[in-house]
Amino acid sequence: MTVEQLAAAVAADARRSDLETDSKIRDQLAADAIQNAQACLQRAPQAAACLYYDGIALGLKARAHPLQANEALKSMLSALSSAEAADPKYDQAGPARVKALVLIKAPEWPLGPGDPEAGLAAARRAAELGPDYPPNVLALAEALAKTGDTQGAVDTYRRARDVIQGLPPSRDRDDWQHEADQALRKVSAPH
Amino acid sequence: MSTLTLAALATLVFCAPGYPGGAGDAQPYVDQFAKAAAASAGWKPDSLAAIYDPTDQGSLAKLGDPDSVLAFMPYAFYVQHAAALHLSPLAQVDVVGVGTQERWTLVGKAGGPVTGAGSMMGYTILSVAGYAPEFVRQSALAAWAPLPADLKIEATGQILSALRRVASGEPVLALLDQTQAAALVTLPFAAQLKTLTQSTPLPVALITVVDSRLPDARAKAFQAALVKLNATKGGAEMLGSLKLKGFVLPQLPGNAGKP
Repeated sequence: MTVEQLAAAVAADARRSDLETDSKIRDQLAADAIQNAQACLQRAPQAAACLYYDGIALGLKARAHPLQANEALKSMLSALSSAEAADPKYDQAGPARVKALVLIKAPEWPLGPGDPEAGLAAARRAAELGPDYPPNVLALAEALAKTGDTQGAVDTYRRARDVIQGLPPSRDRDDWQHEADQALRKVSAPH
Repeated sequence: MSTLTLAALATLVFCAPGYPGGAGDAQPYVDQFAKAAAASAGWKPDSLAAIYDPTDQGSLAKLGDPDSVLAFMPYAFYVQHAAALHLSPLAQVDVVGVGTQERWTLVGKAGGPVTGAGSMMGYTILSVAGYAPEFVRQSALAAWAPLPADLKIEATGQILSALRRVASGEPVLALLDQTQAAALVTLPFAAQLKTLTQSTPLPVALITVVDSRLPDARAKAFQAALVKLNATKGGAEMLGSLKLKGFVLPQLPGNAGKP
């Protein structure tokens, strides 16, 4: 298989894992993704695609094995940093975007590698590189909410909705719209 | 209301302000705990419900419900609210990796001007226990008492951010629990931080009776059940899912919970 095919195989595993509820199948998908990512790295150790999808595969491993999640997440962040150094624009600024999401969602120090401030910085980088890609704008809004900038988060979710509404109809567009609407309601709700 | 009816409605409130995790994540685990503890105490199945709240105000609201007869809480929450809520400790929690007691550590900037209570004017203390200023003043920083009256004490769930502010020289100090203090050396900017003072060992968490809402005999039965819970079938595993090892009889410092 080529580097592109191996990267696409990991991406497919990740999409299936997102929708899967059976933990055994998620475990199998994670193992398959790790195998494909390793094969990719053997062919092209410095390729952004292989480094990026190695990070994605490690994320699937963390989800499938919660007890070893911290170690897998640390390795994931390291792989994503290498991918960002190799090609920050890969997958619409994917390395910085995914890194941001891990840093804002993972348990924080000292329990885990979570670091909302570093997550916000990564989200800003992704949004700067790909301002019209909705997941980048949504990640920035989430990072702003997590670090306490509620108004900034509201404004950014609204901007995400504007970007999304400018896109042609698609399943992704519907999913992003739903995410933005739901998050906007949550972040705007009185505490 | 009869004791029988009360028993059927009893609720154990898990008060967890300052710690990560949402109520939805924790609820299945506290449900298991309530079921196992009730069984260990010889209570009827489903006679004890549990509910989790990750905020100080939310916990207080839940404890105001007459059905809330028992509460699980960090020691800081106990010191802050024991007098007003008439909390009577039943058992002291043994936490995995921490124990039954922990020391709290005040951290400032290395080479900074704070060396004692007299040099804290204009400073703010940030801590996961910041929701409990009485705990900070009377227990965690008892060695530096009295603290300046205008000292600000604020709660934060983002202790890493607080430590960065300390290291950068802002007029803030961070009060860390034992787990956080032990991990300080892992920070890349650890050399810019300094331990200013440390508390004596203090309880980590307690289970208490709320406002005498549980009759003495049932309270004693529940206390005995808690102490032996880790030896019951499946007990250690269930406790482990909550990062607990078990319970011991409470051994509180002399001034704990005094108004």
